[in-house]
Amino acid sequence: MLSAFCRAVVSAANQQVRTISCSAAVSGGHSFVHRDTPGNNPDTPFEFTPENLKRCETIIANYPKGHEAAACIPLLDLAQRQNNNWLPISAMHKVSEMLKMPRMRVYEVATFYTMFNREPVGKYFVQICTTTPCMLGGVGSDVILDAIRENLGIDVGQTTEDKMFTLTEVECLGACVNAPMVQINDDYYEDLTVDDMNRILNELKQGKKPKAGPQSGQNHRFASEPKTGLTALTETPTGPGFGVRADL
Amino acid sequence: MKGMKVKTDSPVTRKAREGVMEFLLVNHPLDCPICDQGGECDLQDQSMAFGSDRSRFTDNAFTGKRAVEDKNIGPLIKTIMTRCIHCTRCIRFASEVAGVDDLGTSGRGSDMQVGTYVEKMFKSELSGNVIDLCPVGALTSKPYAFTTRPWETRRIESIDVMDAVGSNIVVSMRTNEVMRILPRLNEDINEEWISDKSRFAYDGLKRQRLTTPFVRNNSGELVATDWETALFDIAQRVKDANPATIAGVAGGQADLEAMVCLKDMINRLGSEVLCTEEAFPMINSGTDFRSNYVMNTTIAGIEESDLVFLVGTNPRLEGSLVNARIRKSWVHNEMCVVLLGAPVDLSYDYQYLGDSFSVLKEIADGSHPIAKALADADKPMIILGSDAIQHNNGSLILDTVKRIAKNTKKSLNHPDWKVFNVLHRNASQVGALDMGYKPGMDSLKCDKPSLLFLLGADADKLNNDDLHGNAGVIYIGSHGDAGAQMADVVLPAAAYTEKDAMYVNTEGRAQVGRQAVSPPGMARHDWKIIRALSEILGVSLPYDKLSDVRGRLAEISPTFDRPGRVEETGFDNVSDDVTIDKITHTGATAPVVPALLKLRDFYMTDPISRSSLTMAKCVQAYDEAEANPYSKPEAI
Amino acid sequence: MSLFQKIGNIGKIFRQNGGLVGSYLKLFRTDDLKWGTLVGEDKYGNKYFQNDYYFMGRNRWVEYPLSVGHDYDASQVPPEWHRWLQYIADEPPSQLPLPKRKWMADHTENLSGTERCYVPYSTTRPKVEAWVPPKNNL
Repeated sequence: MLSAFCRAVVSAANQQVRTISCSAAVSGGHSFVHRDTPGNNPDTPFEFTPENLKRCETIIANYPKGHEAAACIPLLDLAQRQNNNWLPISAMHKVSEMLKMPRMRVYEVATFYTMFNREPVGKYFVQICTTTPCMLGGVGSDVILDAIRENLGIDVGQTTEDKMFTLTEVECLGACVNAPMVQINDDYYEDLTVDDMNRILNELKQGKKPKAGPQSGQNHRFASEPKTGLTALTETPTGPGFGVRADL
Repeated sequence: MKGMKVKTDSPVTRKAREGVMEFLLVNHPLDCPICDQGGECDLQDQSMAFGSDRSRFTDNAFTGKRAVEDKNIGPLIKTIMTRCIHCTRCIRFASEVAGVDDLGTSGRGSDMQVGTYVEKMFKSELSGNVIDLCPVGALTSKPYAFTTRPWETRRIESIDVMDAVGSNIVVSMRTNEVMRILPRLNEDINEEWISDKSRFAYDGLKRQRLTTPFVRNNSGELVATDWETALFDIAQRVKDANPATIAGVAGGQADLEAMVCLKDMINRLGSEVLCTEEAFPMINSGTDFRSNYVMNTTIAGIEESDLVFLVGTNPRLEGSLVNARIRKSWVHNEMCVVLLGAPVDLSYDYQYLGDSFSVLKEIADGSHPIAKALADADKPMIILGSDAIQHNNGSLILDTVKRIAKNTKKSLNHPDWKVFNVLHRNASQVGALDMGYKPGMDSLKCDKPSLLFLLGADADKLNNDDLHGNAGVIYIGSHGDAGAQMADVVLPAAAYTEKDAMYVNTEGRAQVGRQAVSPPGMARHDWKIIRALSEILGVSLPYDKLSDVRGRLAEISPTFDRPGRVEETGFDNVSDDVTIDKITHTGATAPVVPALLKLRDFYMTDPISRSSLTMAKCVQAYDEAEANPYSKPEAI
Repeated sequence: MSLFQKIGNIGKIFRQNGGLVGSYLKLFRTDDLKWGTLVGEDKYGNKYFQNDYYFMGRNRWVEYPLSVGHDYDASQVPPEWHRWLQYIADEPPSQLPLPKRKWMADHTENLSGTERCYVPYSTTRPKVEAWVPPKNNL
């Protein structure tokens, strides 16, 4: 009797289990529709600095005439770097104007790539990878994520009150062999432990620049080599002409 | 691969199709009962043919179905973006056919949205076509929303009269009411598109209608009356008038049958004063040769051309589908476009020559580089707009353009290629000229008519000073507009969806429109009104049936007898050589600028669109869009 | 019933309905001939008769005034007499008048099919809005 009841409860519960997966809600709460805000509207001032303008010209010159639109991503990236790591709509308009492409085509690019931030972010943009290898490797990304939450006092998708840190959860950043890892602005911090993570964040708070790359998780290894030392490619590399026929 | 067997209906194939349908429907709401696309939905059809009869979607309690917020892209297109299946047809249409890159996709993956990203109006004269393109109910017609189901309507194939292109349309009718207008495929004219005015001005057919005859009383007010009184009133006026100065004016949407009846009646009364509202200079061979006033190369012929020279026209607003054809050629055939006129947005790039007549003269003299470009072109076209012809120095412009065409033809490799084209604005113009109506009302004004018949003439180009002292004005038409206001007797007639009628488009192609609904109230078919009037006036016209009138039309011109076909114009060399008048430069020539410059001007051009609420909303939306920073023209 | 009684009844009928000509006209108008006692008359001129010689259902009847001609119908009977006519009450209103309240409307006959019949106004909008000429034009 009791077992039959349990079975009924379990089967009823099973029917509510997701059978078709959907992508997770967009991290950072970004919407794919623009709405004017006081800080982000067509009148938000944005101009490339003279140095960046020169860079833009160089980038545009890389592409054949009539195909200037190919420079869209690099120009948007330049605009984002110049503008505190985010891209106001006026910057998109500026890029479309420079490349003579319809604004909608620029909006499409800027919304497609998750690396473009269309809303203001903190000075340090912390992206933690929580995809399976990072979740399983080393101490696991769950622990690291908890450490960041505790250290910064913010949750995923939030920015600290002093506008220093923004935390987002991202999919694989391609450093699986050094899991777990976070990306802070352009730098990867890999092989993390909770102590490493706290140290990095504290140093950033103090205005220092912590060393990027593998941390203490795997004994401060150089890159992604095995913990027990190299097992291949240990001899001196051969020079040019190795193994080539003598008469050539 | 040789010997490969492709199974299109095996159990595996069917299961695979079912799987695809299931994925599509996971992200699609099950709201067919409240969806306007229901009954003509591609997804519905596919789902019926290939889909499963049950759903495995059980996620309602947790994440639920995908939901996307609706966009506001103007007063014509209603968006229910949750229904969008991301086929991007609308985006491709906007960018490739309409030439307005307003639509796009934002975001990625299952969060992708089709829309404008920022809130703005989809500002195009062809925007309504995305409603037809949308395979689901994501983009539907705002004025048509929740009115009828497709299976309730009867569809009548007809011809559009909002411009001189003569787009083929389907009128959907229910309970004697026009519910909507859709395009009909005709590769030679409109392909599968129609302009927004053709599609959405139909609510103008239900407003400001003349449903009863009116006669002006002694205190100067129009009073509703019956047919008998009105017709006998006219008979008395005809008796009082000087027969030689009875005049007739055919309006922009007059059909061939009515025009031939009016012409025959007035001729029988003893007058020759019959004219159209749009002028055409009667210099040299005037309108004697058809090649002088039609689009000789035809609309489909634009695709063969490699250079189009537009003179004083804005084809985007005067003949939207001619412009779509030019754009198509510009995109696919590397056609060059040169424009003399106002620097308007044509949705493609062109070489702008300014708006001065002197440039035209230089080209005619061969001293302008464009003269050489025209000579070098394989199949050049010159399209002369009707505003250029009606210019204060219209005869000079026409003569100069004809000279350019003549010079260009000298070096042409294709002897059959005709260079000279005219783009008209009015659906009736070419038919009226074919029939022998005189273009423009100058001759009429000279004659000071003692009695004036207006056949739907609402252009408001006449005033009482142009008429003889106490001349009577009789208006035969469908809408209470400028014509009816100045008239002494108003006879209610049918609009274009209410009569079997023929129209000749700017190419010279006669086409038959069919009656979808009956004329409202006491209104009658135009030609029948004139036929009845002729009986009372004692000059009975010898035709009692529509087929008799069509027979009379065939007598006048064989082109009227071959609907749907365009007859190649002949004698164009002769017409070029006829030089009777020596055209001299008289006075200052104003800039050659067309009247329709902005999309705002496009929406209201004739009595029907002026009566339309939808078109009024479009004008309002355009004005609002002007204030929207996102709708600013982009520097491309 | 004896033959004499029947002949006697015919005699009563003829007498009450105004002789041979009167009986013919009444038969022409009402398709019926009866004799009975006049119970009462209402303000519309309807006369009410009773004769228990006829069996239940036919023993109370109304004769409409000549003024309505052939256009008589049952709705011309006011409710208080209808009450008696349909055996809802035993006493006619002439013997036992019903209380008259101030909210009681006057009786009207059924006007369906006449010029004064009730026609509800249309709640649908006309499909076509007609043009109204501007006043004092010119």
